[in-house]
Amino acid sequence: MNTNVETFKYDNRIVRAFGIVTVLWGIVGMLVGMLAAVQLFFPDANLNLQFITFGRIRPLHTNAVIFAFVGNGMFMGIYYSLQRLCKARMFSDFLSWFNFWGWQLIIVSAAITLPLGFTTSKEYAELEWPVDIAIAVVWVAFSVNLFGTIAKRREKHMYVAIWFYIATAITIAVLHIVNSMEMPWSWMKSYSMYAGVQDALVQWWYGHNAVAFFLTTPYLGLMYYFLPKAANRPVFSYRLSIIHFWALVFLYIWAGPHHLLYSALPDWAQSLGMVFSLMLIAPSWGGMLNGLLTLRGAWDKVRQDPVLKFMVVAVTAYGMATLEGPLLSIKTVNSLSHYTDWTIAHVHVGALGWNGFLTFSMLYYLWPRLYRTNLWSTKMANYHFWIGLLGMMFYAIPIYVAGVTEGLMWKQFTKDGFLQYPNFLETIVQVVPMFKLRAVGGTLYLVGTFLMAYNLYRTAKAGQFEPDTEAQAAALAKAPVGHGKPSWHRLLEGKPLFFTVLTTVSILVGGLIEIVPMFLIQQNVPTIASVKPYTPLEVLGRDIYIREGCLGCHSQMIRPFRSETERYGEYSKAGEFVYDHPFLWGSERKGPDLAREGGKYPDAWHYNHMDDPRSTSPGSIMPRYSWLLTQKLDTTSLPARLNALRKVGVPYPAGFENGPAQNDLQAQAEKVAADLKQGSVTAEPDREIIALIAYLQRLGTDIKSAPATTAAK
Amino acid sequence: MLYNIAHSLLRDVENVNAFGLFSLIVFFAFFVGVLFWAFQLKKNYLNHMSDLPLDGGEICKSSTDKIQSEEL
Repeated sequence: MNTNVETFKYDNRIVRAFGIVTVLWGIVGMLVGMLAAVQLFFPDANLNLQFITFGRIRPLHTNAVIFAFVGNGMFMGIYYSLQRLCKARMFSDFLSWFNFWGWQLIIVSAAITLPLGFTTSKEYAELEWPVDIAIAVVWVAFSVNLFGTIAKRREKHMYVAIWFYIATAITIAVLHIVNSMEMPWSWMKSYSMYAGVQDALVQWWYGHNAVAFFLTTPYLGLMYYFLPKAANRPVFSYRLSIIHFWALVFLYIWAGPHHLLYSALPDWAQSLGMVFSLMLIAPSWGGMLNGLLTLRGAWDKVRQDPVLKFMVVAVTAYGMATLEGPLLSIKTVNSLSHYTDWTIAHVHVGALGWNGFLTFSMLYYLWPRLYRTNLWSTKMANYHFWIGLLGMMFYAIPIYVAGVTEGLMWKQFTKDGFLQYPNFLETIVQVVPMFKLRAVGGTLYLVGTFLMAYNLYRTAKAGQFEPDTEAQAAALAKAPVGHGKPSWHRLLEGKPLFFTVLTTVSILVGGLIEIVPMFLIQQNVPTIASVKPYTPLEVLGRDIYIREGCLGCHSQMIRPFRSETERYGEYSKAGEFVYDHPFLWGSERKGPDLAREGGKYPDAWHYNHMDDPRSTSPGSIMPRYSWLLTQKLDTTSLPARLNALRKVGVPYPAGFENGPAQNDLQAQAEKVAADLKQGSVTAEPDREIIALIAYLQRLGTDIKSAPATTAAK
Repeated sequence: MLYNIAHSLLRDVENVNAFGLFSLIVFFAFFVGVLFWAFQLKKNYLNHMSDLPLDGGEICKSSTDKIQSEEL
């Protein structure tokens, strides 16, 4: 027996700091969400300012909620629990604060750059390359601190929560690096290294697993720590938690392609994504039941304690979302749900229920302990619980209704075989009342969060903050302390490095099998001879399309259904996107698909539509883009853009960017301006709208033209 | 070199659906391994692990700790 008892201190300052910013950024993220939600039924809520228009603040909302609210909540919980599970102070106070301030700086840079239109357009990875580098640096600091603390622990065994933290640290690093491979063309802009189908696969491998390893695994680790703590009883089955961990970590990484069902992605990859998504139900529900059953015999406490109330709803929401996710991955279900608001409802059950409520429960648990007092008002916390729950319902139910309505209306044919609702606008106007109800739900949820902020503030005022908590534990013995004959797993989790390697292998297997063939097999992306690179003017137009976040509402991927080909035209082929750096398929339709937009309307229609969408489409919820009519087109950066595109594989001839490109651009711009004149619109050829119109008129037209003599490589 | 080998192996694989089957087999083997692992763990070890979060090693200093632990 080791009698070498050591006294040491847990760092509470860092936990408190992360807690405070969790609340602050949570409120900011939700407010931005409200602003976006209101614009969906009242487009003028953008005050005709480009910086707060839906397309730009939608990524701001998602980034704020995921990386600022949940991210800081995750750090708060990890910094508290890791120290106590390892019976050691964090490895380095400097790294803790580097992690804190670095992360806040990244959030602030996101809050500035996204409204300014600096975006890669890849969902949840919108931040541009300098910020990507900063994220990598801060993440490394966090990881070193995590592994350093594990290395100096005084507890021989690593509790299951720590496994989840390790999986998070490693997988997020891998995902972030692979998906952020981009070619910069200015200090804040870049093009994705990947194109079209490959870009889509890498992006959704990332996007799906960002949900898995940023919103799920760390929070599961926190659940396995804070739920037993709050209930004051051990986890229901530690054995089940082991199975939960390994099955989840191994399976999750395969499921990314379920975001691309019925797209131009090869069928085998789609099927792989679907099957593995379905299998995910098992470990997810194992984890949910493990959490809920931990409360066996303690349900009377749930009635009293707001912390447990929030936890029960969080774990239940986890179960609901992880059942719904696999169901949405079934191709037939997905054919109805994809591009509709159903997906939005699904992610909000996860975000508001699972992440939001678990974060609230941790804050209510931690604040009285950090300030050595009782919660200022349990009653107010209970109000928060009910208002938040009501807000969640008011959010989710109308949006589910909206989603199913959209899906059904898009697919509805008359008995004569024509589309029942050929005008896309009809289907959106139909669900606008649901958008209004959703905003009510969001408001309620936000009101609850304000109540919590006030309650925590009063708790802090009433108590006295304890910057360090003194603790005692025996130093770790060199030889394993006996619990009988050591088993494989005990040996494994006694060796963090080996454990980490095995976790890494588990996530890489799925990733590699999914992605490598896509890059190796030529027939996955059959080239189409008539598909050509974009012209210089179209490149600029495409960049404006990206800047304005058009893909937040408009997909560019027509699925092979009659309801889609009737509405939009020929379904999309993989070979049409070989020059798309990045791909712009989108994941949501608040407006019609634009993959075959080229040639559908005259240039003047686009001009007027951008100036005031309701002048051409009464009832439209699209914002006005009047600034595009006045802002001058930036042609000075054209050589840098074309050069970067050539470097990532677009076959522009050598020297094209130096002179011919500018001439080409001028000629096409003047042609667009002349076309506009024919439509009684006078526009200068050097305005942004000209480039955007050129790009929109190009979309999907390549395969309509006669086969070219040279094959596009 | 590895790239070339993988490339030549995969280029001619018309029926890449084998990937799906291969993936399932890999997962099945992995899952069975984990089950085997989990079920041979000893009871006293599992109990020790389950109790880990409940003992954070904190030194109870004031009466508020007592109030909290009684209330929650």
